[in-house]
Amino acid sequence: MSNVLVVEELSKSFPGVKALDKVNITLRAGEVQALLGENGAGKSTLIKILTGVYQTAEGQVILNGSPVSFDSPLAATKAGIGVVHQERNLIPYFSVAENIVLQEQPSRFGLIDVRKRNEKARKALDSLGLTIDPDEIVQNLSVAQMQLVEIAKALATETRVLLLDEPTASISGSEATKLFSVVAKLREQGTAVLFVSHKLEEVFEVCDTVTVLRDGESVIESSPLADYSRSEIVAAMVGRTLADRAKRFRDVEPGEPALELRNVSTVLGHEDVSLSLLKGEVLGLYGLVGAGRSELVRSVLGLHSILSGQILLNGQVVKIGDVREALHRYRIGYVTENRKEEGLFLEFTINRNIAVTVWRKLQAWLGVVSHKKETEVSERFVESLGIRISSVNQLAGNLSGGNQQKVSLAKWLAAETEIIVIDEPTVGIDVRTKANFHELIMDLADQGMAVLLISSDLPEMVSIADRIMVMRDYQFVGEFANSKDYAEMSTQVMEAIQTGSKRTAAA
Amino acid sequence: MKFITKYLRTTEFSLSLLFVLGFISLALTSGGVLLSGQSIRSFLAYLAIPILIGLAQMVVLAVGQLNLAVGAMGGATAAVMAQMMIVWETPIWVAMLSGLFVATLMGAVNGFLVVSTGLNGFIITLGTLTILEGVQYALVRSFTLNAYPDAVKDFGKIDFFNIPSIFIVAIITAVIVAWFFRTNVVARRVLATGANPLAARLSGVSNPLSIFLAHTLSGALIGVAAIVTITSLGGINRSIGGDWLLSSFAAPIIAGVLMSGGVVAVYGTVMAAAVIRLVDIARAQYSLDPSVVNFTIGTVVLSTVALSEWRRRRAEVIRQRFSEDSDE
Amino acid sequence: MSEQENKWGARFAHLASDQRVILAILVIAVFIAFAIRTPAFLSGQFVIFPLIRDTAVITIVGLAQLVTLSIGHLNLAVGRMAAVSAMVAGYTYERLGFGLLAGLLAGVLAGALAGMITGYIIVKSQVNAFIVTLAMDFALLGLVTFTYISLTDAAAFTVKPEGMDVVRAGSLADICVFGWCGPSVIPLIIFPALAVAGLISFLYFQTRLGRELLATGVNPRAARLSGIPVDSRVMQAHTLSGALAGLAGIFLAYVNGSFSAAIGNELLLPSFLGPILAGTLLTGGVVGVFGTMLGTMLTLVIRQGLLVQGIGLETLNIALGVILLLALSANKIRASISSLFRRKVVR
Repeated sequence: MSNVLVVEELSKSFPGVKALDKVNITLRAGEVQALLGENGAGKSTLIKILTGVYQTAEGQVILNGSPVSFDSPLAATKAGIGVVHQERNLIPYFSVAENIVLQEQPSRFGLIDVRKRNEKARKALDSLGLTIDPDEIVQNLSVAQMQLVEIAKALATETRVLLLDEPTASISGSEATKLFSVVAKLREQGTAVLFVSHKLEEVFEVCDTVTVLRDGESVIESSPLADYSRSEIVAAMVGRTLADRAKRFRDVEPGEPALELRNVSTVLGHEDVSLSLLKGEVLGLYGLVGAGRSELVRSVLGLHSILSGQILLNGQVVKIGDVREALHRYRIGYVTENRKEEGLFLEFTINRNIAVTVWRKLQAWLGVVSHKKETEVSERFVESLGIRISSVNQLAGNLSGGNQQKVSLAKWLAAETEIIVIDEPTVGIDVRTKANFHELIMDLADQGMAVLLISSDLPEMVSIADRIMVMRDYQFVGEFANSKDYAEMSTQVMEAIQTGSKRTAAA
Repeated sequence: MKFITKYLRTTEFSLSLLFVLGFISLALTSGGVLLSGQSIRSFLAYLAIPILIGLAQMVVLAVGQLNLAVGAMGGATAAVMAQMMIVWETPIWVAMLSGLFVATLMGAVNGFLVVSTGLNGFIITLGTLTILEGVQYALVRSFTLNAYPDAVKDFGKIDFFNIPSIFIVAIITAVIVAWFFRTNVVARRVLATGANPLAARLSGVSNPLSIFLAHTLSGALIGVAAIVTITSLGGINRSIGGDWLLSSFAAPIIAGVLMSGGVVAVYGTVMAAAVIRLVDIARAQYSLDPSVVNFTIGTVVLSTVALSEWRRRRAEVIRQRFSEDSDE
Repeated sequence: MSEQENKWGARFAHLASDQRVILAILVIAVFIAFAIRTPAFLSGQFVIFPLIRDTAVITIVGLAQLVTLSIGHLNLAVGRMAAVSAMVAGYTYERLGFGLLAGLLAGVLAGALAGMITGYIIVKSQVNAFIVTLAMDFALLGLVTFTYISLTDAAAFTVKPEGMDVVRAGSLADICVFGWCGPSVIPLIIFPALAVAGLISFLYFQTRLGRELLATGVNPRAARLSGIPVDSRVMQAHTLSGALAGLAGIFLAYVNGSFSAAIGNELLLPSFLGPILAGTLLTGGVVGVFGTMLGTMLTLVIRQGLLVQGIGLETLNIALGVILLLALSANKIRASISSLFRRKVVR
């Protein structure tokens, strides 16, 4: 069998970050290859290049023997590379059949040829063993079914290489099993599949070969999965760099509970969740994407309803109405996950971005905020966080990812809160700045703040946190004191996630 | 059975039911006068324009756009047609076709401006609206143009068994629009753009083209409305089209056409226009002030949108569970 | 030497892209052009006085729209809110015998109330501002027409409270200090307008409230997650918009000499022209306050110029529409020109 897709020494850089560094992949027809890697390893960059979202890169992409380069996502689709993203890309008001043939609607004299369309759709659905009614309107389907329709759609456009990006992120159980049987059918038909996932047990169930990316490099390149054990894969994903990192043991003793959750249930699906965050500690909330960690924090901050249970701050029961109350009354800060959408005002200056949480404090008579005082505050934090800019009057939108994240953090440091929640702080950030951040976060705890760190980056978690709580499917499934020994912690955490049972380990 | 219960819940059914019940009660309270040939003729005749301009707005709503210039486009087109027939003495058919062409052209200009500036149709059509109001005034001044051939005005008076010719024109247009959006490949692409521009683009649909076509079609429908206007009103003056804006929005929105795009509802729009007409008749019957009509319609539109917004948010919360990007 | 160059480069870029300077130059240029063509244009009494007077009133409407634009919303009901306020003021003058200032206050409060209701509906129902203000426009139209018809014969309150004439026709010539009187071309009404513009400018550039409004416009999600009370700010913006629209409506009534239902009919487009010419973004977060006054003045100079030339209303409308479209596209052109002058620093 010949190679359908070959990726040769593919590299891509952004200002300050080398996202991909000479990545090599080979994919044959009828092969299901896993693409693994931690957050920030380069998976999404690779996918964006293969699907034409990024147009320039060094190295080569060779499809069916000829080098290709795509100037748009449509070009990639036409060349035979299909992708099913994590977010749905269907027309909700159209039928399944119409969605499947959308790219090339069979028509006669400009009118839809219903018979041919249904034939085409039926063919695609049948080849995957799906019994979904082609006339059903897409918005009436379940999320899992929609995903399957997208796969059928890719088939209908004669996709040779299908990229599945975290396909089981929002489905589980029998729906996932159905998905795997569809993937098996794809294999039978000779489609090459690139299966991107975080979930190791699924990868071992469904895939033939594996490529592991770490820090932009392909450390395992399209090798048979059978050659590796699970722990060898994990080791490849995280590398030994962690063992080489200087371990910093913090010798400040954590104090009283700053924030406690007792048997909290939320409208989003958390049931009977409890945790205790101490002053001066870094508590890590580990979990895979979609586990419910950010959702829990947002519920605590009043953005979603809490159905039952209690929230205590410094021992007192409180009800938090919104972020404003959380910040000004209860001194809780929340460094959000998506800095561009939720953390920053890209069209504002850095000055304004940092000072936004302290305008209330800075305001004098008649609500006047002195520009000089604003600048003082922001310059102070620009310096302490080491943000390299020429002036605080630059627009936040012009900064690199790492600096933007620092500005996002600076905003909350300026607010001088007692408790701070930091959500996925180092996604898409270069290694040096990452280490910088880790130091900063530990400094905060040393100063007596209660820090809640949400991260899907296990090495990061083990590196910084004093305790690690593991969340899966909106439940806590484990709580461990951090020995800072990666091998030991990762085993414990992975077991907790996979078995899904609640276990606590003694210090 | 399942099909029936599904249909029962739809907006189309509710509107049809509302119309039937409303009509019957008004007929009863009017002592049967409403059922007279004269009343029926008048009712249907007054429905023609709301149907057409409702459809004109509907097609731009379907791509997530707005057309504030419906009235000005209609008025200016009617003025052009009137002047052509009066000053240049062009044959009626030529004038009518020219009117249709001119209105379609106006729509195309709107579409072009929207696509090339990247701005929303709201502000673009605010600009073209102003320009066209000026054009209308330039053509009409403070006069009423009515010196065009009687044949034109006669057309508006024809009826078949109490169904006015202009109503038939409106209904035929509605049927064509419905059929077009159901079966035409290009029309389906327009809807795809409105529903999910990203998914549409990834499937090879040209979003700018869809938006351009929607505005152009809107213009064509307004052209028909202008033709209906000139045949049914006694003359064209500067206020023609001045009150078209609210009705053009009210009908499609009440019919469930989402402002976010991707949906057309021809039957619903027609029914909603009919229901709105009933409100007007009720007003006359009970001697209420016209402002009451405006107020009611404003409130109903608001409630419809608020209700669908509320439903959408509830569905979002339930889907939160599965979504990676939490929305606030 | 290069540091010096840099400083001038930056300053020039700032000036070149400073909308206000461009607008001021245009106002003067257009004015001179018309004056040259038709010397009658220089008439203080018939041209310049009404020009400045109308600028005062329309600027206030423009600021009403600017306030909603600042949070990324639109207020389609500015005209109707103006009408409601004028109606309430007229009522208090005619039926309740209020003094000039008291009636003014009552009217402005009515406008603020209308704005507050709008804001409340927007926040509670989460429906977008376009629809809510459109519906509000029609609801208020109904209310105003109904009230005038039921309460008056001529659909207008015709009483002229004491002092109204001063506001309407008074100029600096009426203010004499030590026997030296001001020029009669400058109407007194420009001063309250300038004061309002000054207040709004102060609000947006100096206060916390203004900053939070702009932040809400730039990114409402980030604003909420940064502790800004977004819902309150939205309501406050709409309330202020209603109040300003109301003030403009009352001034318009003073200028026209009566309080009728027709007030506010032609205010929608002008309310947008000023702010847009000043560089205010439709998406929120960027406002140009004094630019709004200059932009308004520019459109009025063009209108007056065309009128004096004997060119009719229709050409005016066409011209205004074209100006609007050009101004909208110009924002994009301006952005690309200014990026040529400035150097973007990444780190």
